[in-house]
Amino acid sequence: MNRRLRYLVFGLGAAGLAVLFALALAGLPGFGGDSHPYRDRAVHAALAHRTANVVSSINFDQRALDTFGEELILLGSVVGAAALLRPSRRESERPAPDPEARAVPDSVVLLCTVMLPVTVLVGLDVIAHGHLTPGGGFQGGVVLATGLHLLFLGGRYPALQRIRPLAGYQFAESIGVATFATPGLAGLAAGGAFLANVLPYGQFASLASAGTVPVLSLAVGVAVGGGVVVLLAQFLEQALRYSGER
Amino acid sequence: MRALVPLSFVLPVLVGCVVLAFRRWLPRMVTDLLCVATAATVAGCTGLLAHAAGGGRIVEWMGGFTPHRGYSVGIVLVVDPLGAGAACLAAVLTGCALLYGWRYLSDAGEHYHVLMLLFLAAMVAFASAGDLFTLFVFFELMGAVAYALTGMRIEEPESVQGGLTFGVVNSLGAYLTLMGIGVLYARYGQLGLAQLGAAIGAAKPDPALVAAFCLVCCGFLVKAAVVPMHFWLADAHAVAPTPVCVLFSGVMVELGLYAVTRIYWVVFATALPVATIGRTLLVFGVLTALLGAVMCVSQRHLKRLLAYSTVAHLGLFLVGVSTLNADGLAGTAVYVLGHSGVKAALFLLAGILLNRYRSVDEAYLHGRAGLRSPVGWLYLLAGLALAGVPPFGPGLGKALTEEAAGAGHPWLVWLFVAVSALTGGAVLRTGLRIFAGLGEPPGGGDEETTGRSEESETTGPVRGTPVTMLVATCLLLGGGLLVGALPGLARACGRAAAAAIDTLGYRDEVLHGTLRPLAEVPDSYWSASGVLLGLLSAALAVGVALLALARLPERLRRPLRPLEPVLVGLHRLHSGHVGDYVAWLFLGTAALAALVAW
Repeated sequence: MNRRLRYLVFGLGAAGLAVLFALALAGLPGFGGDSHPYRDRAVHAALAHRTANVVSSINFDQRALDTFGEELILLGSVVGAAALLRPSRRESERPAPDPEARAVPDSVVLLCTVMLPVTVLVGLDVIAHGHLTPGGGFQGGVVLATGLHLLFLGGRYPALQRIRPLAGYQFAESIGVATFATPGLAGLAAGGAFLANVLPYGQFASLASAGTVPVLSLAVGVAVGGGVVVLLAQFLEQALRYSGER
Repeated sequence: MRALVPLSFVLPVLVGCVVLAFRRWLPRMVTDLLCVATAATVAGCTGLLAHAAGGGRIVEWMGGFTPHRGYSVGIVLVVDPLGAGAACLAAVLTGCALLYGWRYLSDAGEHYHVLMLLFLAAMVAFASAGDLFTLFVFFELMGAVAYALTGMRIEEPESVQGGLTFGVVNSLGAYLTLMGIGVLYARYGQLGLAQLGAAIGAAKPDPALVAAFCLVCCGFLVKAAVVPMHFWLADAHAVAPTPVCVLFSGVMVELGLYAVTRIYWVVFATALPVATIGRTLLVFGVLTALLGAVMCVSQRHLKRLLAYSTVAHLGLFLVGVSTLNADGLAGTAVYVLGHSGVKAALFLLAGILLNRYRSVDEAYLHGRAGLRSPVGWLYLLAGLALAGVPPFGPGLGKALTEEAAGAGHPWLVWLFVAVSALTGGAVLRTGLRIFAGLGEPPGGGDEETTGRSEESETTGPVRGTPVTMLVATCLLLGGGLLVGALPGLARACGRAAAAAIDTLGYRDEVLHGTLRPLAEVPDSYWSASGVLLGLLSAALAVGVALLALARLPERLRRPLRPLEPVLVGLHRLHSGHVGDYVAWLFLGTAALAALVAW
């Protein structure tokens, strides 16, 4: 197709789609209305399971299966990226760059050194309190994984490589995913349903509350943290260690 | 028994995690065995579920959030025979694909196995989801894994290109679906299929509802490769590893159609009139079948040829679904089962050729492979089966579907015969050329994708055909035969279809746990006209093949001359340019909406 024909087809389609969107939007309820059937019931269900953070209750209790699916999407993407970015037979390893070549300002190094432990702590906190305050496994896992990469920003890729035995992180990722399914299966074994909240609910708004919600949140945190490290590692390795055609 | 509903997709996930976590210690043989055994177990579980569901459904509320007065905040899985059957098909095909790939893709290592297991889990969960958003989540999982599996052969730039095109077009479709889900959620505050259906009820269809239906269907129609959203399919099939093609053609695209069927019948059937939707789907189905058949006969790249034949058959399936009655859906279900066995076998045979000769080009392979090995005979037999020869499954499916479709529009019978003859003929033509050395090697334009030289998928060229590859092929072709030869299967498909279109029965059973007796389903099997039309299309297919192989006198070729520019134009439309594909996707969505609104 030449350019003009492509634009013509696209223009026609886009115009149709725009009309469709306009019609759909016109049929939506107005902004800020009172009728929120799902919200009302979800808050009720979260309180019944003594979960302070309703969003976490939806993510890890009421609609935990969707979270399981999303975790699998991340796992699939990480494994897929690892498979696609594996060094091909045509690629060769680059000689290690001169450590002095990539000078990083001292201020950046200092900032990264200070921020690294802080970020890791924040990540752990976000995971641990996911059922009480905004946060949870997904967010915390991403914070943790990004924290480690401050080492790379600080110009020390070898240091990052040292604290990043990839096999270990991949292990963590798969164990995290498997752990998410395990309490689910426990619910099934206890004669209930898959992903049923089988643990005691505890006291509202205390660390040990909400039953399986913190457990699942932790599992997701481990899986997401490991997964994001492995994912970024594939891209970094491809960009820094391998060159194109041999 | 109810525990099997979640177990059937959690099991492959857990095994995948084990393979990934312990991959350094697991020998390749153990991994292969473990994966094949898992697929077989899932096939057994889902088969049991399909049987146990009988004429009804198995309803499983996740987390024990059972509905209270027809409302629940939780997610429901609903297994009915149609869904469980689709899941079982996915598991059987995955098992055969893994068996075939026993020594495949050695440098991708266990990543390939993990991706295949996740793909299986996604398809099984997708087929049992009773919630629109869960359906979407596992649809996305299916997509994410499929893009990676397509680009597996990273040595070839086309492979990455094919994976990318597939990813971009399908993701765009998925976004449109998500928009549609958003519209429905904003209006009704529900995500469950049954809940949404009950909330919409017999509402007078307003523009927003029509828009929501079109948007939701869009992503699934892209996955189902319905013209004009089909462009990604041939590009992806041409580059994907052979076992992956088996899953794509055999079950993944059909699952797109499954979702449209499920969503229409459970959510929209009481609001959007059957006549409108049926007419819309019929238009798309006929277009898809015709374009697929024309593109199929004009290919020389074996995998592209088989891919376009899938497009053509998908069009026929869509015509079957568009009848929007139990007979049409039952015939389509039989057709899908038979087609997947036969088409999967054909892909595996093409893969065997690829591994031995490093080419899937009809011209290059001309006369290279003899008829001494079983490969050639299996290929020709599968070609005949694809054309609809009794007693193979595709023939029975075609017979039942064309009967149902022909009840409304008698000319549709000839569409089925013509498309079967053209696609079957294309396969027979390549088979006769490659294995019997008949005819002359085709000359082609310079714009064609030939598949002349490809990287082999195994580590080295394969001497002889490995037993595992032949066993997998025979199993699939045998399965395709059994679908047509066992009367029980057609009967089960009839019951499954009747349960699937029972809108009120589905909603009541999911939301209130009340069972409604299913209407008695008449047995359908080979009829005399079905056998005759099957034989006719097989004979026509042989005719098409011989005509293509024979050198026609100039006198006969002259009237065909004006058609050549049309064919060249069609081939040019399939340019491989992502921008083109996106433009057609938009136009397709707009056309869908216009047809529904009209």
